[in-house]
Amino acid sequence: MAGLVVEWLGRVPYAEALALQERCAEDRRAGRVPDRILLLEHQPVVTLGRGAREENLLRSRAELRARGIEVFAIARGGDVTWHGPGQLVGYPILDLAARGRRDVHRYLRELEAALREALARLGVAAGTLAGTTGVFAGGGAGRPRKLASIGVGVRGWVTRHGFALNVDPDLSGFDSIVPCGLSHVEMTSVARELGPARPPDLWERSRDAVAVALLRRFG
Amino acid sequence: MATVAVELPALGESVVEGTVSRWLVKEGERVELDQPLVEVTTDKVDAEVPAPAAGVLAKILVAEGETVPVGAELARIEPAAAAAGTRGAAAPARDPAETAQGEVAAPAGETPRVTPVARRVAKQSRVDLREVEGSGPGGRVSKRDVLRHREERSAGTPPAAAERPAAAAGAAPTPLAPRPEGPAPARPRPAFLDYQLQPGDRVIPMTPLRRLVAEHMVLSKRTSPHVGTVAEIDMGGVARVRAAHKRAFQEAHGFGLSFLPFVVHATVRALREYPRLNASVLEDSIVEKKDLHMGIAVETEKGLVVPVVRHADRLSLAGLAQAVEDLANRARSKKLSPDELKGGTFTISNPGREGNLYGFAIINQPQVGILRMGEVVKRPVVRGLDGEDAIAIRPIMHLALSYDHRAVDGGPANGFLHRIRELLEEAEFDL
Repeated sequence: MAGLVVEWLGRVPYAEALALQERCAEDRRAGRVPDRILLLEHQPVVTLGRGAREENLLRSRAELRARGIEVFAIARGGDVTWHGPGQLVGYPILDLAARGRRDVHRYLRELEAALREALARLGVAAGTLAGTTGVFAGGGAGRPRKLASIGVGVRGWVTRHGFALNVDPDLSGFDSIVPCGLSHVEMTSVARELGPARPPDLWERSRDAVAVALLRRFG
Repeated sequence: MATVAVELPALGESVVEGTVSRWLVKEGERVELDQPLVEVTTDKVDAEVPAPAAGVLAKILVAEGETVPVGAELARIEPAAAAAGTRGAAAPARDPAETAQGEVAAPAGETPRVTPVARRVAKQSRVDLREVEGSGPGGRVSKRDVLRHREERSAGTPPAAAERPAAAAGAAPTPLAPRPEGPAPARPRPAFLDYQLQPGDRVIPMTPLRRLVAEHMVLSKRTSPHVGTVAEIDMGGVARVRAAHKRAFQEAHGFGLSFLPFVVHATVRALREYPRLNASVLEDSIVEKKDLHMGIAVETEKGLVVPVVRHADRLSLAGLAQAVEDLANRARSKKLSPDELKGGTFTISNPGREGNLYGFAIINQPQVGILRMGEVVKRPVVRGLDGEDAIAIRPIMHLALSYDHRAVDGGPANGFLHRIRELLEEAEFDL
């Protein structure tokens, strides 16, 4: 089925989103639905990708649970990350084979490119760092500042999981972990990068910018 | 024992290896055709590898956490009886190791002479599988065998006679660019790479720095459409200022004042008037940078390095001279920190006095322009004198600008270069 649908789902519990992705991916593999990109938000949650190392969890699972933060180990690449309110999460469920794009690394680069484009529209100069996947704020001295993390799962060339863009989350959420296993990297957000230039409707603008960039690149 | 191999599939053109992240099935368990067997990760992707046949997972060959090249065997399946069958007889399967449609697979129960992936690659490359020598058990043909056959065929050497690079031991000649053992490249090697070393040839392995610079040069030319433009600059005014302040400068700062700081100073001012040259291309946008950090190319014995003078627009001529001198010295004595090599927004190159009338340097990504200084030579030029043309002898330097035509058009590029010329020829410098 041709075409691409981008949907904003609002705040969705993580477990529900996992099940939703599973169903979407199955439907996509069977050709019952077109490519879909789910855009949503989560309550605080920590997820561990297949590359995750225990030492990158700085608080124990019990401590996290006591704070109301669930921990999920999932079939995506990458190390550990945190999701929470103010962070725009995207799960593209795309059939790479149907697009003639059986190339998972290329898919990662295209996700990065779409996010950079969205950030440019929002007024943030962003780029990538050689040797690692993700989108970083450009310029300035000091440690690299990460704006968006990417971690993807693929089954039968249909993608799951995806990206998380820090629009204006409470960045202290990342204190429980070594994000993505990168100890020399600082997490930042669109709001922090824009500083006083930040518009009052930043969240809505970010959603729109990301949706447009994804539609342009994958539609 | 007739078993079916489970190979690490091709996950993309640039993907050469994968790490087994999780086995989903245990040895001895029954598996269905296409059932997810194992998860492999590459970069930030976790992909499932499905079973290429129904049967029993006989042996796991690669443990969790191990990394193997594409095409490597991850496990072996003992196929079930004819009814389940291997792929090829059934409808096309949706997995990374799809069999080419219309091909007849080996009957179930026999070791296939050709793996499904090899069959697909052979069809795509128009390789006749009967000509391919298999390196697997029982002469089994894998994807690597097909790719190697394709390379050898295009390089013009008869397959039997070709030697695998790095496998040859002992006496010369060996291929000039030995490659490590591993999966064959997707594209055939151009014939010129198979140069046979001759006695007396001197082989100089590239230092890591040279390799890095070489890669960047190729990348830069591939990324930016380079256009060059040259201006002829009368350096007489600059020479006059320099001569007037030479002694005092040497005494105050401990090193000599060259033409370079003057050129840097003029370039900085011109960049403020032509911000398009102080920019980067970011997808569909051109980002004109707020800050101005000037890279100065320095040739050291190890190779080319480009230390950066940060906020070069905040420095006076003397300040620039100081910064450039300090960076160049530390570049040569290898005392630069990584931060001092990053973040430049424009670059100036001064490669030397002789044999350098002018030349077009390669843009330092992700910048959009680079200026290269030529040698200063006394030449006869036409100058107006009392309203009449006369010939004067002046020190002339050619300044060559390479710019990225995605971001910069001829008009602004020429304007920018012309402005530098004006500033240098007016020679109104504060020292």
